[in-house]
Amino acid sequence: MKRTKAFQVLILSLLVVMIVSACSSSSEPSSTESSNPSSGVKITFLNSKGEILPQLEEAAKAFHEENPDITLEIIPVSAGQSPFERASALYAAGNPTTITMLDTADVEKFKDRVLDLNGEKWMADSVAKSTDLTTFDGKNYAFPLAIEGYGFIYNKAVVDQAVGGTFDPSSIKTTNDLENLFKQIEASGKAPLIISPMDWSLGAHYLPLAYANQSPDSAEVNKFVDGLRAGTVDLSGNKVFNGLIDTLDVMTKYNIDKASPLSGTYERGPELLGKGEVGVWFMGNWAWPQISAFDTANGQYAFLPVPISNNAEDFGNTQISSAVSKRLVIDKERSTPEQQAAAKKFLEWMVYSEKGHDFLVNKANIIPAFKNITLEAKDPLAKSIQEYISSGKTSESMSLLPADHWAKTGSSMQKYLAKAGDRATLAKEIQDYWKSVK
Amino acid sequence: MIAEKGLWNRLRTRLLFTGPTLFAFITVMMIPFFYGIYLTFTNWDGIAITHSLVGFQNYVAVFKDEAFWKSFYLTLKYVFFTVVLINAVAFLLAYALMNKLRGQTLFRAGFFLPNLVGGIVLGFIWQFIFSNVLVYIGQKGSIPWLSASWLADPDKAFWSLVLVTVWQYAGYMMVIYIAGLMNVPKDILEASSIDGASRWTQLRKMVLPLMVPSFIVCVFLSLQRGFMVYDVNLSLTKGGPFKSTEMVSMHVYGKAFLSRDYGVGQAEALVLFLLVATITLLQVYFSKKMEVEA
Repeated sequence: MKRTKAFQVLILSLLVVMIVSACSSSSEPSSTESSNPSSGVKITFLNSKGEILPQLEEAAKAFHEENPDITLEIIPVSAGQSPFERASALYAAGNPTTITMLDTADVEKFKDRVLDLNGEKWMADSVAKSTDLTTFDGKNYAFPLAIEGYGFIYNKAVVDQAVGGTFDPSSIKTTNDLENLFKQIEASGKAPLIISPMDWSLGAHYLPLAYANQSPDSAEVNKFVDGLRAGTVDLSGNKVFNGLIDTLDVMTKYNIDKASPLSGTYERGPELLGKGEVGVWFMGNWAWPQISAFDTANGQYAFLPVPISNNAEDFGNTQISSAVSKRLVIDKERSTPEQQAAAKKFLEWMVYSEKGHDFLVNKANIIPAFKNITLEAKDPLAKSIQEYISSGKTSESMSLLPADHWAKTGSSMQKYLAKAGDRATLAKEIQDYWKSVK
Repeated sequence: MIAEKGLWNRLRTRLLFTGPTLFAFITVMMIPFFYGIYLTFTNWDGIAITHSLVGFQNYVAVFKDEAFWKSFYLTLKYVFFTVVLINAVAFLLAYALMNKLRGQTLFRAGFFLPNLVGGIVLGFIWQFIFSNVLVYIGQKGSIPWLSASWLADPDKAFWSLVLVTVWQYAGYMMVIYIAGLMNVPKDILEASSIDGASRWTQLRKMVLPLMVPSFIVCVFLSLQRGFMVYDVNLSLTKGGPFKSTEMVSMHVYGKAFLSRDYGVGQAEALVLFLLVATITLLQVYFSKKMEVEA
């Protein structure tokens, strides 16, 4: 009897210990990983740019070799999930990553939980305006990781054959020019283009051209978006919007998937373009790794702008859309000072070390937002964007749209694409969406 | 042990056995549930450090959210078809496999297998089948209704979801029905066949009434799973094309995490909880009355 009692007491106290230790003050960062001298500092990195995951893991190894006391673990965001979803879930679980890769518009939401990076050395070397959108009350909270751009990607081998000579991208200045090109490609026996019908491509990339191309002046663009919010803008009478949808109509007509425009998947785009079965694909430079896997054009690809009218002089007809798209923030809530220092060191390593440059430009095909990185891009799409940037032919991508903009307007665009709704429906749905945004 | 004397002794014994489960239940079920109810009265966006109370504003927003009710209506339609089809198919499979069939163990395992595949993986597999395999067959064999992806058409995408769900759960429910069929007493069946009852009469008058407990369980399980469907919905159609197959769970998730309207999303989740709880409780209550003793 005595023994059972002692046993019970033992079990009970064990339970209590387990419970208490499970509830132990969670605001203290766990010290097991960070202060263990043998393994050094361990930091984590939430990667929301799925296409560079292997490259990033390689970079983590290279960084570890140069800084043996720091281990960097890369955690991916699953395909189709937004970085905000994943990051907020991790924060809610009390287990955020040390470095988190966010989209530009998300940074403001996290600003109370991440470090102010104003004092960092790379601030002085970042390209103009690259930190404007993540600066609040004079403090910059994010590291600008990559400039990305999008438009029509063309396969030079296919279009050269179609025009019978060397294709000149500057010859496409209007919707009619574009249609002529499509006709020529069709006549050469290839399919002119493929439209990938994902809601993010249509809602976050294609449609925002209608906002961004309202004016070269970003203040005017902001005014236009404010007008949408207030419900004072009439899209069905808007010239840029209608011009953009006219172009979409032309695209629909020459789409390889026109029989079932919504059945395509993302993977189909790079395959058909790379194999030269279509001449043109509406997408951005992030697709290069996938295109290169199918490449039959000897790496010859470049961008064309999306024309929005038949007047070659209109803003937008010769510009492609680009902006800093991905930002890195460093957690200040759960990370130890050592982890924060290690994270800062990794950011510096990317900007100032040779291996860092090699990772950004050569391995991950990123267009860096830093003036001191002079390494020239090997990837033709990044090169094409750099050319557009250096000749001043870019329009600023819309980086601060509401979080559900792509999902909601993207589905309206899909409806239009599948001809389940007409242009008036599309305009109305977009306007209704904007009125419902808080 | 329960006969132990003294309050402390009894409490200690109880705690020893139920304590760990109770602790887990309270921390992972009850606290989040009540904290969730608290959040429905706030304007939290899911990440901000501060939030303020807004009263019943979120509940008003739920009733004004047309998309929520549209997706709820769609879910009702989906639940109706899946519950009927899952149980019909599962019962027929079970009934067929109870007869002395060759290789019935193999068939049982085979029909049960889809249930072991996770919903997400299963959705991706079927997405590939619907948008590649079937389209390929359709185009090569000139079958018009197969030559375009089913997932690109709102109606067909809905039926694809129903089809995959039935395929996934029928095997699971079949196992429950097999257990039920085994419990139907052999003697009354033998007696009735001596009296000259046909198999059809046996099925209608004896087997089905005695199987009511199994039906209650299976209908309850398929109802609840139908209402809560998310994984297959996400990986198979992603709510598309153009949100036409967005089930209610997906809408609620999107509201909370995509539109960053945590308060409204949580309020919708609570409304959904109440509706589903009511429907399933009513189902169990009324079908209990149909139970008979052999």
